[in-house]
Amino acid sequence: SGAAGPAMLPALRRCRPGPVPLPALAAALGPGPFPGLCPGWSPRAVPARGRKTRHDPPAKSKAGRVKLPPPVDPEELLVVLERYRQHRLVLSALRAEFRAEVLQKKREERLAAEVSVEELEEHRRLMAWNDEENARQRARREERLKKEEEEQKRRKSEIAEKQARKMEAFLEEKEKEVLQLQEEAKNFITPENLEARIEECLDNPRNYNFAIDKDGRIVKRTVLS
Amino acid sequence: MPMKGRFPVRRTLQYLSQGDVVFKSSVKVMTVNYNTAGELSEGARKFVFFNIPQIQYKNPWVQIMLFRNMTPSPFLRFYLDNGEQVLVDVEDKTNKEITEHVKKILGKSKETLEKEERKKLSHPATFGPKKYHLHECMCEIEGQVPCPAFVPLPKEMRGKYKAAMKNEA
Repeated sequence: SGAAGPAMLPALRRCRPGPVPLPALAAALGPGPFPGLCPGWSPRAVPARGRKTRHDPPAKSKAGRVKLPPPVDPEELLVVLERYRQHRLVLSALRAEFRAEVLQKKREERLAAEVSVEELEEHRRLMAWNDEENARQRARREERLKKEEEEQKRRKSEIAEKQARKMEAFLEEKEKEVLQLQEEAKNFITPENLEARIEECLDNPRNYNFAIDKDGRIVKRTVLS
Repeated sequence: MPMKGRFPVRRTLQYLSQGDVVFKSSVKVMTVNYNTAGELSEGARKFVFFNIPQIQYKNPWVQIMLFRNMTPSPFLRFYLDNGEQVLVDVEDKTNKEITEHVKKILGKSKETLEKEERKKLSHPATFGPKKYHLHECMCEIEGQVPCPAFVPLPKEMRGKYKAAMKNEA
C-alpha cells in the first residue's frame, strides 16, 4: 500500500515521483555505479514492447534519452546484502549437512551389505559348490575322453585284424592255385612226352557220343566206329 | 509381418517375463563361450538361443557377451564387481540344467525377490487408494492432525473463523 511503503522504508522516499530531497547524498555519491537520484526516472515507466519489434530502430524522440538504473539506498543495500549473505550461508550449510548425512547413510548401508557375514558365507559356499560341480564335470569329461580313446583303439585294432585276415585268405588262395597248377603240371604234354602221348591217344579211342532224354538220363549206347 | 525369426515366441513379453534368473547386484558381466557345431555344445547353444533373452530382460544392467568357436569346450564366465571371476563348465549339459546351476550360484533367492517386491509396493511416503498405497490421508498417521470428520478442528484453523476475523479487522 502506498501509505505504508515510504513509512516502512524511509530511505526509499526519494524514489517517489516528486521534488528531490537529500542533495547532500547526491553530492557525496556523485556519478558512480549507484546514482542515488534520478529525477527523470518515474517508477511507472517500465519497458514494454508494444507495437515495434526488437529489430525496429528507436524513435527520434528517444534520441537523447538517458536510461539510469534504479536508485539504491546504500545503507539499506548493506543491510539487505548482509541479511541475504547470512541466509544463504545458513541454507547452504544446512544443505551440505543433509547431503553429508545422506551419503553417510548410503555408505553405511553399503558397508553393512558388504560386510554382512552370512552373505559372504553363502557366497563362499556357493562358489565351493560351483567348483565341485566343475570338478565333477571334469571327471565326466575325462571319462568320456578315455572311453573315446579306447573305442578308437579298439576300432583300429579291429581294422588291422580284418586286414591281416584278408591278407591271409588271399595268400591261401594263391597257395592253393599254385599247388593246383603244380598238380596239373604233372599231366602236361611236353616235347618229350609228345610221341608217347600221341601213341597213347591213338591206342585208346574215347567215345564222346551220348544221348540224353527229357528226364536227364544219359545213354551211352552208340558204338565208336 | 508381425512374426520375425525362427522362434518368434522369444520376442513376446510373456515369455521374457517368465525368466526367473535375477542376478545379485555384484554380477556385472556374463560371458558365454560356445561352439556352433558339435553335440557337447548343444546345451550351450540352446541356452544362448532360448534363455539369454530372458536373462537380459530381467537384468538389463548386466553386460552379456557371446564368443563363438574360440575354445574347444563351452563354458560360462561371470565377472563380479569385486574382481572375482566365476567359471561354469557347461559341456554336456542341457540348457535347463545350465539355468538351474546359474540360478543357484548367482541368482537372487526367491525370498529376496519377494521381499523386494513387497518393499517396492509399499512406499510409506505416498498417499492414495488403499489398493496401491499404505495410507489414504495424512490424518491416519499418529502424531498428525486428526481427521476433522471425527475431531473438529480448533477454531483458529477453520476457514470461517479466519474469514470472520479478517472481516472484523
